[in-house]
Amino acid sequence: MSLVTEHLLTLIVFLPTVFAILLLPFSDQDESGRKGLKIAALVSSLAVFALSLLLYTGFDSAAPGFQFNERHGWIPAFGITYWIGIDGISLFLILLTTFLTPIVILSSWNAIERKLKAYLALLLVLETGMIGAFVALDVFLFYIFWEAMLVPMYFLIGVWGGKERIYASMKFFLFTLVGSLLMLVAIFYLLAAHKEQFGGYSAAITDLYKLKIAFDGFLSPQTLLFLAFAASFAIKVPMFPLHTWLPDAHVQAPTAGSVILAGVLLKFGGYGFIRFAFPVFPAAVQYVAPAFMALGAIAIVYGAWVSMVQPDIKKLVAYSSVSHMGFVILGLFSLNTYAVTGSIYQMLSHGVSTGGLFLIVGMIYERRHTREIADFGGISRAMPLFATVFMIVTLSSVALPGTNGFIGEFLILLGSFQVSRLWTVIAGTGVIFGAVYMLWMFQRVMFGPLANEENKALPDLSLRELAVMAPIVAAVFVMGIFPNLFLAKMEVSVRQFLTQIKV
Amino acid sequence: MSELIKPQNLVLSTEQLAMLMPYLIVAAGAMLTLLAGVIRGSSDPEANRRKRNLAAVLVGIATVTAGLLYTAKIWGEPGAVLFNGMLAADYYTGLMNAVFLAATGLVMLSSYSYLEKERIHHAEYYSLALFSCLGMMLMASALDLIVLFVALEMMSLGVYVMVGFRRADVRSNEAAVKYFILGSAVSAIFLYGVALLYGATGSMNIAQLATSLKSDPTGNPLLALGAVLVTVGFLFKIASVPFHMWMPDVYEGAPTSVTNFMTTGLKAAAFAAFLRVFIGLNSGGQGGGGTEGGLDASLHDVLWVVALVTMFIGNVIALTQKNIKRMLAYSSIAHSGYILVGLISGGKSEYGYSSVILYLIAYVVMNLGAFAIVAHLSERGDRRCDVEDYAGLGYRHPWLSFAMAVFMFSMAGVPPTVGFAGKYLIFSSAVQAGEIWLAVLGVLCSAIGAYYYLRVIVFMYMREPARAIAAKFAPAAALVVLVATAGTLQFGVFPSMLIHAAKKAAMNI
Repeated sequence: MSLVTEHLLTLIVFLPTVFAILLLPFSDQDESGRKGLKIAALVSSLAVFALSLLLYTGFDSAAPGFQFNERHGWIPAFGITYWIGIDGISLFLILLTTFLTPIVILSSWNAIERKLKAYLALLLVLETGMIGAFVALDVFLFYIFWEAMLVPMYFLIGVWGGKERIYASMKFFLFTLVGSLLMLVAIFYLLAAHKEQFGGYSAAITDLYKLKIAFDGFLSPQTLLFLAFAASFAIKVPMFPLHTWLPDAHVQAPTAGSVILAGVLLKFGGYGFIRFAFPVFPAAVQYVAPAFMALGAIAIVYGAWVSMVQPDIKKLVAYSSVSHMGFVILGLFSLNTYAVTGSIYQMLSHGVSTGGLFLIVGMIYERRHTREIADFGGISRAMPLFATVFMIVTLSSVALPGTNGFIGEFLILLGSFQVSRLWTVIAGTGVIFGAVYMLWMFQRVMFGPLANEENKALPDLSLRELAVMAPIVAAVFVMGIFPNLFLAKMEVSVRQFLTQIKV
Repeated sequence: MSELIKPQNLVLSTEQLAMLMPYLIVAAGAMLTLLAGVIRGSSDPEANRRKRNLAAVLVGIATVTAGLLYTAKIWGEPGAVLFNGMLAADYYTGLMNAVFLAATGLVMLSSYSYLEKERIHHAEYYSLALFSCLGMMLMASALDLIVLFVALEMMSLGVYVMVGFRRADVRSNEAAVKYFILGSAVSAIFLYGVALLYGATGSMNIAQLATSLKSDPTGNPLLALGAVLVTVGFLFKIASVPFHMWMPDVYEGAPTSVTNFMTTGLKAAAFAAFLRVFIGLNSGGQGGGGTEGGLDASLHDVLWVVALVTMFIGNVIALTQKNIKRMLAYSSIAHSGYILVGLISGGKSEYGYSSVILYLIAYVVMNLGAFAIVAHLSERGDRRCDVEDYAGLGYRHPWLSFAMAVFMFSMAGVPPTVGFAGKYLIFSSAVQAGEIWLAVLGVLCSAIGAYYYLRVIVFMYMREPARAIAAKFAPAAALVVLVATAGTLQFGVFPSMLIHAAKKAAMNI
């Protein structure tokens, strides 16, 4: 057992890849083989989820700093170590990842017809990449995982995606790559600066926090380096106006891809800001914060407006991500306890509710092979169970009190109000527009006359689909009603984060 | 200079002879291979031909293996200077020789079935490759420009012939003639530069040239012109813009296995020699590890522009290529640009010129595999070498496609591959040397490059198969791909050993 407890994080990171490799010898040609593969993948992802729950129970909410540390030498020539560990912020992002992975595997039970084995293996490898990036405390290690998770997602979109999948996957890859390459150059600068200031290389983030980087307005090293990091993270968030890859990627990706993309990958933007960009460049953050808050608020309203006019449900949900992630940016750059806590909470709850919405869109698409709002109407009569689930997730996305979405947005607006009333008010209108586009869409799809003949015989949720949605619905309410389960474990880390970014 | 030639310098001690052994082995092996080419025995000419080829390739592989074993045996021994300061046998040459020998051996392995398929199999092929390999080894070891020149010619002459190996094919002929004429012209330019340097300083020894350069800061125009001409010679051989025009045609026209040889061995050798001369003349005798070795300002500016333009033009033109060999040729130009970045910043960074060496090795490993795959997927006459022809390959040949994808990601610099490790070292030393703009522009160029590497992957995995791809993969060729894939991933995840070796080699120059 000690092997498990001492290397728990490493185990959680690499177990999915080990499972993925174990899948490879089996055949996906006949039906029984396919079923076996699916069950094996599901069980392995559930095992990883179970292990990650040990992190939650074992996490000491009072202790500052990183927990579950594991550190080994790796490339001593550059001070690069294999150092992983978690704090109260990454803990929940890992849980989100391990929570969503079995769900998406279950959701793609019947949707994937070709190359099932590769698909499942890629999902598991992707899980390794994502968890790895959340636990990496060495900037080089982080970069490796960061890029490594790009590759499976690229294939998921490009091979199993919709009609425009190649364009979308290419755009996704290149956008992210340009951002990360700029970050890479900035990382080089930091490493060289560390060598200069402390006489040796180190890529550990706690060492990078100690760096003193000249700051003097816009064209100073610190601001430019921050912008290089921000380029990478802002593209991932995605922050207006760097969001244009997102609708393409989301719409073309298979359901599982969209869920993971929206649920976890976008969170790396916010997480990157928190873990790397803010504490290393505190002065620059203060300097650019007003501009980023403005961009966040614009994204909220812009995303909502664009969502409103989408004829395609999936595209609507995709643009709603731009709007919701705008809140995260607004909150993070408000730089106070409420707003930052709210941002982290919003990231988690967006993962759940938007993930849920993409799952629902996937279910409806599997039945009708269309996502046009105009093709639907009155579905609630044919599918009452589906209607209930859809309603709950919609309301969570609208941030109704009692659901998960409310806590995050409320805390963000509370915090940002202390910093900028203007942008808070504008963001507040975004909440209203958010309700408008979601509820309007829901109304057009679910209510009204059941006019379309093809919709009359739609089967309601199957047991498998219920099993997919039940955890999401549960998470919506748990996060909405018992936020303290989460906030209590974050508190110390958030406070520590805020002291780090004091100039 | 004549007073330096002392009789005792011309006698080889046992230790010196030991250092010389790898060269002797390769030379002997090359001649033995020639002999293998005249084996007869039966009245059936076809059987004779088979016998000759088999004998030649076996002797070739044995030679390379022996050379590698001997290089390993003298690995780490204190270096020696041989032949009155003409040849160095040190850690750097040891490392580079290992690279050349391994590349030559792997190319020979993957050539066998390819040449059979193309029906251009002659035993001389292996002999030429070995002679060329000897030239490469001597290039990396030369301390004297005249030795360097002879080695360069030795390397090139073999390859001129190999490029034209497909005698009945117009493109192969065109490539050979083009390569020969341009290569000869550049050899002449290089030699003219050497002559001018000799005229200005009275020496062709790199170390003595460096001393003369240092003691004459006013700038003798003869010296400057000679240095420029020598540099142009190198820039041609590494195919940097604007001396890159020959390369795509030659790469495309040559039989693919020869392209493989050129892109790995020849390029590494050109850079290896360039690096030695460059460090010798620029670091003021500090060696390759110093952080103080500043570059002459005007040379720095010229190389800065050349590096940037090379990265940019190489990547941008590669974007529009349909033929995968041509695309990889342009990508090879772009990679020369990255290596030049390492050359520019080497003198002022912690890890010195080790980034150049590491990148060269990375480049050799990934190209070796990629071209081996291209060679074996093509149909006779190197047809079906367009990116479109790879459509759906991932469904037909999953392992092969996986390997190809690894090489493409590695060339694009995506971790955890050796290509990423190479780029990491190159651009981190650029940042450390204060070349931040060059690093930023360089990584942006490499982002352009990612597009066409990914396009290969798009065709392999995301398009439906257009036709059946009859890939008959000989076990030897599969072994080459396996070795290259393993190397790409192994050195990508655990680059420490390679970094260490590269650093030691760079300090050693």
